[in-house]
Amino acid sequence: MPMKVGNLPFFEGVDKAISNTYMVNAVSSAQDGLREKKLKATVGDETLGDWEEWRRAGEEIRQFTLNHLDYYLKQLSDNFAARGGHVYFAQTVEEAQNYVRKIVRSKNAKNIVKSKSMVTEEISLNEALEAEGCDVLETDLAEFILQVDKDRPSHIVVPSVHKDRRKVREAFQKLGYSGSDEPKELAAFARKTLREKFLHADVGITGCNFAVADTGSICLVTNEGNANMVTSYPETQITVMGMERLVPSWKELDVLVTLLCRSSVGQRLTTYVTDITPADQTDTVDGPKDFHLVIVDAGRSRALGTEFQPALQCIRCAACLNVCPVYRHIGGHAYGSIYPGPIGAVLSPILGGYKEYGKLPYASSLCAACTEACPVRIPLHELLIKHRQKYVAGAGHPQTGEKIAMKAFGIGAKSPFLFKAGMKMAPIFLKPLVHDGSISKGPGPMKPWTHGRDLPAPSKENFREWFKKHQAEAGNPPTTVNADGSRSEAK
Amino acid sequence: MKVSLFTTCLGELFYVDVLKDTTEVLERLGCEVDVPEGQICCGQPSYNSGYKKESIGPAKHMIETFENADYIVSPSGSCTSMFREYPKIFADEPEWAERAKRIAEKTYEFTSFIVNVLGVEDVGAEFHARVTLHTSCHMTRLLGERDSHYRLLSHVKGLELVKLPNNYDCCGFGGTFSVKMTPISEQMVDEKIRHIEETKAEVLVGADASCLMNIGGRMRRLGKPVKVMHIAQILNSHQEEEAAHHANESRKSTVL
Amino acid sequence: MSNGTIENRDQFLETIAQKLGHAAGEAVTTPEWKHQPQWAVYENKTPEQLVEIIKKASESIHTQVVETNSADLAESLNHLIDSYGGGAILATSDKRFSEWGLSDVLEARHVAIWDTLKGHENIDLAAHANIGLSICDVMLAESATAGLFNDKDKARSVSLLPVTSIVLVPKSTIVPRLTQAMALVQKQVDADESPAPYINFISGPSNSADIEMRLVVGVHGPVKVAYLIINDR
Repeated sequence: MPMKVGNLPFFEGVDKAISNTYMVNAVSSAQDGLREKKLKATVGDETLGDWEEWRRAGEEIRQFTLNHLDYYLKQLSDNFAARGGHVYFAQTVEEAQNYVRKIVRSKNAKNIVKSKSMVTEEISLNEALEAEGCDVLETDLAEFILQVDKDRPSHIVVPSVHKDRRKVREAFQKLGYSGSDEPKELAAFARKTLREKFLHADVGITGCNFAVADTGSICLVTNEGNANMVTSYPETQITVMGMERLVPSWKELDVLVTLLCRSSVGQRLTTYVTDITPADQTDTVDGPKDFHLVIVDAGRSRALGTEFQPALQCIRCAACLNVCPVYRHIGGHAYGSIYPGPIGAVLSPILGGYKEYGKLPYASSLCAACTEACPVRIPLHELLIKHRQKYVAGAGHPQTGEKIAMKAFGIGAKSPFLFKAGMKMAPIFLKPLVHDGSISKGPGPMKPWTHGRDLPAPSKENFREWFKKHQAEAGNPPTTVNADGSRSEAK
Repeated sequence: MKVSLFTTCLGELFYVDVLKDTTEVLERLGCEVDVPEGQICCGQPSYNSGYKKESIGPAKHMIETFENADYIVSPSGSCTSMFREYPKIFADEPEWAERAKRIAEKTYEFTSFIVNVLGVEDVGAEFHARVTLHTSCHMTRLLGERDSHYRLLSHVKGLELVKLPNNYDCCGFGGTFSVKMTPISEQMVDEKIRHIEETKAEVLVGADASCLMNIGGRMRRLGKPVKVMHIAQILNSHQEEEAAHHANESRKSTVL
Repeated sequence: MSNGTIENRDQFLETIAQKLGHAAGEAVTTPEWKHQPQWAVYENKTPEQLVEIIKKASESIHTQVVETNSADLAESLNHLIDSYGGGAILATSDKRFSEWGLSDVLEARHVAIWDTLKGHENIDLAAHANIGLSICDVMLAESATAGLFNDKDKARSVSLLPVTSIVLVPKSTIVPRLTQAMALVQKQVDADESPAPYINFISGPSNSADIEMRLVVGVHGPVKVAYLIINDR
């Protein structure tokens, strides 16, 4: 199934992740580093002026572009084709796979090099091409490591964040590596291994950080230079883009590239920001002759025109993953989706359905760190609540006990009589459970709480009674504000 | 200044002492405090769990109850933020949205009210201890209140404030999250406790009873010696240095 | 190159338009954005101040910056090439080299010039060269980024495949940041010119932090980068 990572039910995945101490340590230390770099390059960089103004600029551009997505996609495809490129609109995952397969077959291509791309992970493109007998090589260092180790990404920007150097070394040994576990030496090995492949590949496949509608250009953002390799030596370039990843013109590209580089890795710009425009390259030695652009919907349009549309503002910077305390403790694989973390918990149910991903919106304490970090102001934690609303309203299967409890809450929490009675009864009812001032083993709904935590004993004193006495002692008549605005003596 | 106290359900159930301290501090600062009788719960537990329909009734009830208050003050950043969210909840009911907006505009979290409305930073408290502060998520991110609690604590005589590492990370409470996603919640609170221990503080202070119930409940289970207090309890303290270590009989013995 | 094609578009856009509640492809004009903080960054900096900003930014991206003037350019370039060990050198085919009087240096050092007529041989040269020489088209001060408008002659491989990339930076090409560079491209586009087929903004040597977040400099692209800033005004 596309998008799916692993095959464990959610809670089993969580248990497995939590017990993987190395992974948790690796993720949390990476998070601390990335968070700090991001803050330094955003709110902490005074040369930028007010970072909030940048976020609003990003939001404004993304919202307008999405609201007129059909127009800008039309413009993009017209311009890409006018310069000789081939555009294919893929409504579904299968359509996207089939088109790429068709191109690869028509070129009789065997050796394919790829630069890092989340959308191709999402549509399981590698598997589809390998089934054709192609040799598909991931060239981003992290993706290369994962491919050699038959593993999947656990982060949108740093896909192998869950692996340590020993694991990388073990993986490379399968390719004949005999060096140390020094990152420098490991990277040098990857450089040597991959360079030959780049220079002799038939097809290069890339994702798309942003497309520019005005000129039909593709912008790719990397640090390693692998996307430059992929787009320079193979005869054919195939770029796969999520349909929302475009900007009207170069002017907007500036703002979004700035937001992306600073928010994802805390750099002013990544080492390579490369803008490719199809052109007649008959005389060009180092550039493809044939350009293909595959524009993928694959469920994205379901969010358009709904309360979930802001999710499509996402520019895949992963800033939300880098501040999420839940991601910090369970890593990416536990989400079971190629898109983990807060944005993953918002996107996955839209793209893959509630049956598969309906639990993800609950994997958040709604601390709003994600919303605060998002460079294009997606209200992530609010979208998580909206998913929960869908889930309980029929898209998912909430527990019956929970439904009853919430109904009862809805009634109880608007009846002052029931509330006051409850406050008086609680200390009496719970008294048998109280030992030494707290409850350490509670039944029913208290059980998961007291699994690892004590619950305080309900206060014996009633606050409202104290308050009346307190006012009387002070010589003030105990007053209250009534619903009609008048003040009267409290009863 | 007339202040209507929004007690919060958690406050009335578990933390009556915190409500008393809140009342006394506000009164000492010259406020006339009342406790609107009809108030119950803001509806956040059901709203955040996706039960919007079930939350509308409680929210409307609270709006009616507090509608005529001059200022609404609550010793909880999270519950205050729910009042501030009300206008969004009623996006489909313009009349209620308007009423919700008026409520939201006059609702303040306790420390924020003291610093930003009353303009007071030194409340004349005295408390001798090494203290670290948990800045709760809804307080900092939803209310945008990032320094009133620091300012107030910095003026408490005898109090040594130590910065809590990774203070921006959630403690793992998250309302129903803590019982629906217990394994993750426990990992989160354990990391929070590791950071608290790194500060070597004797007391953990916070301005949200829910977070403190979570961190305190876990520390108690693990037998950690750190005392947990609400900021209202500190601000209502006037203990002399000698008395600081014999305060077990006082109100501060509340299990948070 | 074949003519361009578009497949499967109508239904695709129709679905989107329906969800958005308007007719498919309904024309819009991109508005004047309310928020444009980008223009204020390093506004009113003198060229000299921008050079200082480049030097500072270069430190964190492991890039050497050397300053010279038009008269001393040949000598400075010679020194710089020596400091990176000389060896096989390749340069882009860019008339600015000769305009600036560098033909003698290039000849004396047996610098190969990118020549489309030689086909794949160029790539082999680049892959085995120690140094590649390129000239910057627009230089971004904020991030110490060399903007190269690559095409068939000003070939991308020259700054990509050799171990060392030396980029000559005319001071007159320095702008505050990406904003002005993108505006430059947009101006070409608005004048109905095609943008260069491959616009490369390069900030220092290629690198990766994919293994335990430890920075490794020199991954797929060059291992070393130097900017030679020429005071040409």
